[in-house]
Order: sequence, then C-alpha cells, then structure tokens
Amino acid sequence: MRQAQDGEESAFAEIVRRYSPRVFSVASRFFRQRSLVEEAAQEVFLKAFTQLGSFEGRGSLEGWLTRIATNTCLNMVRGAKRRPEFTVSDLTEDEQSWLDHQPIDRSEQRSVENNLVATDLADRLLSVLSPEDQQALLMIDGEKASIKEVAEATGWSESKVKVRAFRARRKVREAMEKLLGHRSKDRASEQVTR
Amino acid sequence: MKDKHIIEVLDNASIKSLSETQVNEIQAHARECVSCRDAYDAARLSAVVLQSRAHATIEPSPFFQTRVMAAWREQQAVENVPAIWRLWNSAKVLVSTMAVTTAALAVVSLMAPASTTPLLDQSLSAYSAESVIMGQSSDDQMSYEQVLSTIYEDDDDAR
Repeated sequence: MRQAQDGEESAFAEIVRRYSPRVFSVASRFFRQRSLVEEAAQEVFLKAFTQLGSFEGRGSLEGWLTRIATNTCLNMVRGAKRRPEFTVSDLTEDEQSWLDHQPIDRSEQRSVENNLVATDLADRLLSVLSPEDQQALLMIDGEKASIKEVAEATGWSESKVKVRAFRARRKVREAMEKLLGHRSKDRASEQVTR
Repeated sequence: MKDKHIIEVLDNASIKSLSETQVNEIQAHARECVSCRDAYDAARLSAVVLQSRAHATIEPSPFFQTRVMAAWREQQAVENVPAIWRLWNSAKVLVSTMAVTTAALAVVSLMAPASTTPLLDQSLSAYSAESVIMGQSSDDQMSYEQVLSTIYEDDDDAR
C-alpha cells in the first residue's frame, strides 16, 4: 500500500490484479455490457490511483475501492437516459414463458438459459427505479448485503438505505404484480376462446 | 398476522431473509386473502429475478490489468508535461489559423491601394460637378484660354 502511495507502478498493478474482481462485481450491478463494465472499472482504478494519497487506511482498501466504484457507476448511469416503463406487451416469449412456469415450479434448480431470462426480466423491473434505488435493492435483496454494508459502500445513512430499499421493493413488486395480473387475464381469455 | 394484510411485511424485507415462521404465517394469510396472495407471488418472483440479476457478474478479462496500466501511464505522461506546453498543444491550431488569416489580410491590404485608387479617380472625374451641370464629358472640357476668349469675344461683339 505504501509502495502504491509512493507511486510505484508494480504496486498499482498488484492492486488492479487483486481488486478487479470486486470492482467488476460492483460495475456488473449497473451494466450488463462487458465494454461498459470495463470502462467503469478502468475509471475506478485511475481515480483510485489519483486519490491514493487521500486514503488514510481507516477502512479496508477493498471498501474504499467499492465506494469509488459505486459512485463512479452511479454517475455514469445518471448520465444515461432512463428507459420508459415497460408493459406486458414488451415481454419476450421466453420471459412470458418464464413467468408462466415460475409459480408452479418452485424448485431452486434453474438452467443457465432460465437464469438469463430471469436476469433480463430483472433489468426490465429495475428500469422503473432510480439508479440509487436499484443499487440498494440489488445489494440487499440480490446479494444479501446488510443495511450497514450498503451504507458503507454508498456513503448514504442507514435510514436512507432502508427507505430506498423499501420504496424499491414496493415498486418492483407492484410492477411484477401488474405483469402477473396481465398474464392471468391473458390465460383466462385464451381459455374462453378455446 | 391472520387478519392483518402482509403487504407491509413483504415490502419491509427481502422474502429470502424472512424466517420460516414468518413465511408460514404469510402463506397462511395468502391462502385466504386474494390481494395478499398476488402480492406474495409477485414478491417471491421479484426476489428470484433479483438474485439472478445480482449473480450475473462479468469477470475481468486477462488483459484488463495491462490496459489499466497503459491508461495510467498515458495519464501520467499528460500530467507530467508543463502547463504552458499543454496550453500550446491545445491552442496551436487556433493560433496558427489566426496567424495565417492575419498574414492574408496584410497581403490583401498592401495590394489593394494600387488597384483601387485609379478606379476611384475615374469614377470621380466621370461624375464631376462640371460634367453633370454642363452636360459635358471630361474629354471635351474647355481650356482656360478658350473660356477667356469666349467671354471677351462676347464683350467685343457687344461694343
């Protein structure tokens, strides 16, 4: 760490090697495209190297990098346009079929393909949220992070994290309920026509 | 829990973090309350898709470290260049363009008097007061002697 603060290049290289999986994991929460994740991760390390002198070593280097990564990605996402709210007609056939089979099939074993469909569906649901709310929800409900961990990673207060997570969970549940409602209506109308 | 709607409970925490007792209570209530059953199904599916999304992480490529270090060296190289040189680098195109424009204007202004002045004289003489009043062109203007002789000739005739 001291070597890196002295500007030694090999120490920087070691930091990148050791912490890039963590930074990529944070950036992957925000972006699905590899190019965007790499762009964000590179920016995170360049920022970190520039600000390394200000790192006082109170917390872990990983925690410090996670915070830089979260803020960098949030800024990148804020700059991008938000997608309009989706409707059930926007769903692909795979997504509709995934929704159809989920309530029946409660097993935890899912194929890779099913996981991809679920991930796409998650992105659609998350698009109704602000980037900050998405973060809170993905960390808590997706990665099982504690409120305290989210607060440390983002720099928000714990009560703010709780409020964001509550609001996000409600919005996502309502969006999902809407999809499920449409789906059962569609099923009913199909049965009537038969 | 039986008489109370469970929606608040669903929104307060991830369904995956609830205890078995809580889940059993929720399921018991959901069997009797249609709106809560819909909410429970939606919350359960939301939790599943969110977990899938959270696990969809991208691993760093083997070249990532090399690329970051190259970008870092490039950034360092830019920062080590003196400020005045960086200013010159960003402004040199503008300064060069301005210099060329000034030189071109100087050449034009030096060449212009030789070609424009005779034209100006011609136009002035073409529209002199005499030619306009007398209706004469500059070619058939009277000389001073002719004017005098014309005046005095008239006087002689009168005498």
